[in-house]
Amino acid sequence: MITLTVNGKTVRAREGSPLLEAVRAAGVEIPTLCQHEALEPWGGCRLCLVDVTRPEWNGWAKMVVSCMYPAEEGLIVETHTERVVETRRVVLDLLLARCPETPLIQRLAREHGIEKTSYLPNPEPTDCILCGLCTRVCDHIGVFAISSVNRGAGREIAPPFHEAPPDCIGCLACAEVCPTSCIPYETSDARRTIWGKAFEMVRCPKCGKAHITKAQADFYAGRNGVPRSYFETCDACKRQEMARTFSKLSAGAVGGMETGKQGNRETGRP
Amino acid sequence: MIEQSCAQMAPLEEILGRYPREEASLIQVLQDVHRAYNYLPCDVLAKVSQNLGVPLAKVFSVSTFYKAFSLTPQGKIIVRVCTGTACHIRGATQLIDEARRLLEIAPGETTPDMGFTLKTVNCVGACAMAPVLIVGEKVHGNTKPAKVAKALGVEEKHHAH
Repeated sequence: MITLTVNGKTVRAREGSPLLEAVRAAGVEIPTLCQHEALEPWGGCRLCLVDVTRPEWNGWAKMVVSCMYPAEEGLIVETHTERVVETRRVVLDLLLARCPETPLIQRLAREHGIEKTSYLPNPEPTDCILCGLCTRVCDHIGVFAISSVNRGAGREIAPPFHEAPPDCIGCLACAEVCPTSCIPYETSDARRTIWGKAFEMVRCPKCGKAHITKAQADFYAGRNGVPRSYFETCDACKRQEMARTFSKLSAGAVGGMETGKQGNRETGRP
Repeated sequence: MIEQSCAQMAPLEEILGRYPREEASLIQVLQDVHRAYNYLPCDVLAKVSQNLGVPLAKVFSVSTFYKAFSLTPQGKIIVRVCTGTACHIRGATQLIDEARRLLEIAPGETTPDMGFTLKTVNCVGACAMAPVLIVGEKVHGNTKPAKVAKALGVEEKHHAH
């Protein structure tokens, strides 16, 4: 553990952990859009900017994205200096120009004193802020169905050839993780559609709830070597089943302590 | 249809043989594919993805990122008109107009006979020779609209129509 200062407050952090964690541990709120605890930091949205300095830097400070900057011993972090706040405002102003009709961006901009973008608003408003969360979560799962395509002003998130993505398993992780909920999908007990691809649903053999697509069950089973039936059972039923197993085990353990010990020594199993 | 796609795959097999089957080979393979086919056909990209073990979404992402790659069939000769600042000032717009008139296509389009594709490019870095017109591999500097037909070699053909 190391010690650093956030807005004058001393906080302890794991060396090399993202500065953002230390900032939040200090109870300071800074906005983020592309950060997700389940994914590697990406530094895409630039909203988590902070000023960092050290006593030996003689007053010189640099602006860094706190989600990617590693925590170091003795670092002095300032989260709301004038230039940081101003830069954050410019970023939000630009985001608002891109997404003039997106409630989340409107709210964040308003919180930073921007009612209307000072740039030319996007004539074709979009809700996508290109935070990359959807493609990153898809890659993280190991599906790689969608990606960033084109470049510059024309950049967008799309499946290959803008057609139904062959690799998509319909897990909806991309839609769930999207901060502006801009990935449309439809799901019912019978069918699910996302990215223009239709999926057949699998019903939980115990409760009958349609909770997973056939493609998902196939993908997970193929990857983990766990029987497909494990994934077909829904999480609630799996938990119930596990609770029942544990209660059986604990009841058995009280009665069969002696024989259990014997078994352990020989086979490594109860 | 099947025969055609088999014939289409022949150059690819040869290209894939040149590079190790890994993600790092992707751009070189795409460049060679582009040279062999004059564009990146989607079924070829699918095969590249399979062979190199790179997800199709990643292959598509790279293919659309670089301006040097085209996903639609292009003409045998690519005509590029530089629209950088120097060329713009020295008459790039007139060159484009003349090329449009002669080829009867807009920038970004290909003639129906697949002879030419007309493109505008941001800056070719040859500002001293502005305005610049590139026909295939040949660079024509200090060009005038009147010289475009000769540079393209289309004059006679279009008069015959």
